[in-house]
Amino acid sequence: MRRKAPWMRVWMMTMIFLMMSGFQVASAQQPNFSKVKEYRIERSVPPEAVACIECHRAKTPGVFADWAKSRHANANITCMDCHLVQPGDEDIAKGHETYYNRSDMPYGEAKYKVPIASIVTPKDCSRCHPDEVIQYSKSKHANTLEIIWKIDPWLNKGMNSDNERKTGCFNCHGTVISIDDKGAIDPATWPNAGVGRINIDGSKGACTSCHTRHRFSVAEARMPEACDQCHLGPDHPQIEIFEESKHGTMYHAYKDEYNFNAAGGTWTAGVDYRAPTCAACHMSGSGKVTTSHDVTERLSWETQAPLTIRPSEFKAFPAQTQWQAEREKMKNICRQCHGDSWINDFYKGFDTSVQEYNDVYFKPAKAKLDELYEKGLLDSTKFFDEHLELQFYELWHYEGRRARMGSMMMAPDYAWWHGFYECKPRLNEFMEEADHVIETGQKAYIYPDYPNATGTTKRPEKLFPEGK
Amino acid sequence: MKKYIIQSVLICVGIVLAFPLFSTLYYTMVRTSTPGFCASCHEIKPAVRAWGASTHVNNAAGVMVDCMDCHLPAPQDTFDFFFSKTYHGIKDVAIHFFGDAYDRDKSRNAAYEFFDNDQCQKCHRNLLSMPHSRGAMLAHRSVMHARPGYEKRCVDCHYDLVHEDKTSVMFRQYRKQPYQAKGLRVEKLGI
Repeated sequence: MRRKAPWMRVWMMTMIFLMMSGFQVASAQQPNFSKVKEYRIERSVPPEAVACIECHRAKTPGVFADWAKSRHANANITCMDCHLVQPGDEDIAKGHETYYNRSDMPYGEAKYKVPIASIVTPKDCSRCHPDEVIQYSKSKHANTLEIIWKIDPWLNKGMNSDNERKTGCFNCHGTVISIDDKGAIDPATWPNAGVGRINIDGSKGACTSCHTRHRFSVAEARMPEACDQCHLGPDHPQIEIFEESKHGTMYHAYKDEYNFNAAGGTWTAGVDYRAPTCAACHMSGSGKVTTSHDVTERLSWETQAPLTIRPSEFKAFPAQTQWQAEREKMKNICRQCHGDSWINDFYKGFDTSVQEYNDVYFKPAKAKLDELYEKGLLDSTKFFDEHLELQFYELWHYEGRRARMGSMMMAPDYAWWHGFYECKPRLNEFMEEADHVIETGQKAYIYPDYPNATGTTKRPEKLFPEGK
Repeated sequence: MKKYIIQSVLICVGIVLAFPLFSTLYYTMVRTSTPGFCASCHEIKPAVRAWGASTHVNNAAGVMVDCMDCHLPAPQDTFDFFFSKTYHGIKDVAIHFFGDAYDRDKSRNAAYEFFDNDQCQKCHRNLLSMPHSRGAMLAHRSVMHARPGYEKRCVDCHYDLVHEDKTSVMFRQYRKQPYQAKGLRVEKLGI
């Protein structure tokens, strides 16, 4: 073996030393983060807003960095443009005002003091985006808390606890925000970005559900991931259904090529995206159909309801739409990529699924349940505390929904294996048990001490004022 | 010659008769067009008091916007102006004597419905280039170039501008924070 020349050794040692010292310097400078995002005030920003930005840049760098990357920052929209309130407003964050007399903070001076609210509501957003807020306010999203308080036995019969609701139901459906005399938000109602949140100013919902703060990105809301925090799981697996559908498969295969940042009103099928996402069909404009923030506008069936009905017939919140017109809108969206026979034949399958679910599975079960109540064999004081009630609930709320939604969005596994396949034994077992109860005349067993059924049954007054 | 004399006499008589008539009418119009006159109804007093403390009275330009400037059609629509003024005058007096008790909130909402954007835009015309009101550009575009079905009135957002009860006079130039409309009135959201 030849020995390396001495100059070669020296050169290699030097290189190694230089590389190591280089790494050391770099790691000493940047323990965790890459370079901290800079911000120089180079545009006309009021001094109070400069104070917000500079202080939050230090205290909540994530919020700052998010905002700095947003279109709002591009347009010189600062914290104050959304968070500012008028003196005397109910939702002033009084705790925040104490920061303005803190000498240990660079901007902790009274001259920067402005009243702000922590929660920015759709009403605040309507100052710049009024049409979007008008559309959103008509949607089932905005009114979803009222809807569940009208129909849901978990709430109305008090079958779960307040905290189970806060961390579960209300996380998506929204809380009724309340603020005490000291200006502190009631922790039982906050934090919350539910689509149906009831805000102090009377507006409904939270734009940040889909356009998360502080980016407020249109691109984000166009992705199916924007919807999947709520639309998943055994009772409304829209995201799983989407993933299984051809649309979802293509989305995953080609999303790197998608242009999610297209300007509002220009996002185009076949140009900016290859297969649609949730937003593409339910909200975005396509062809002659204009964009709407009323996400439930284009529905022609209420596939979530126990008995499938038209959206205008949904008693808890009758849509102000005509299903034929809305279906035509949806078909127009399909037409961006599909021919008429394809679309019409698809809808035949969906309509048949709905009709079969209604007639074969739901109606007989409902008739049987009514008979049990009528004969006094089931107790109607509470719900879920008898096995048959739970069976009935899961028939429509679990597999019944999956069958219908799976058919609608073309996910075969959800239409069949998680859907109609499971409806069959559920209905059989329900019927068997019900018939047995009727034959023997022995009242159904009631689970004593239903666990954690401690939640209030009082409907929120803000939604249901006394006497209405 | 005689014909001309008769004509001249008739014209003179006409002037002599019409002048006091017109000047009386004009005088009446002027007298009944002041905020002071409006405040002579006790129902309206709180509104006039709030107006007096608002920035529509107190601003660096010294411009004062009277009740009529906002609440009645522009004087160039002469007929509408006189008709509206007379109609409201008679209606208010009639309701005072024969109607239900005055409900300020109800009347406020009724007044919003009467507000044409033209009434505000007599003065506020340059709405699309206000470099210091960044949000206003987007929102104002949606009003001035409204999509069909989304037509809005100025007062849908600017409803807290003048008749807000205040404890002290508000000077526009001394505003500590920029004026912002609060967004669409909840009633306008259809909820």
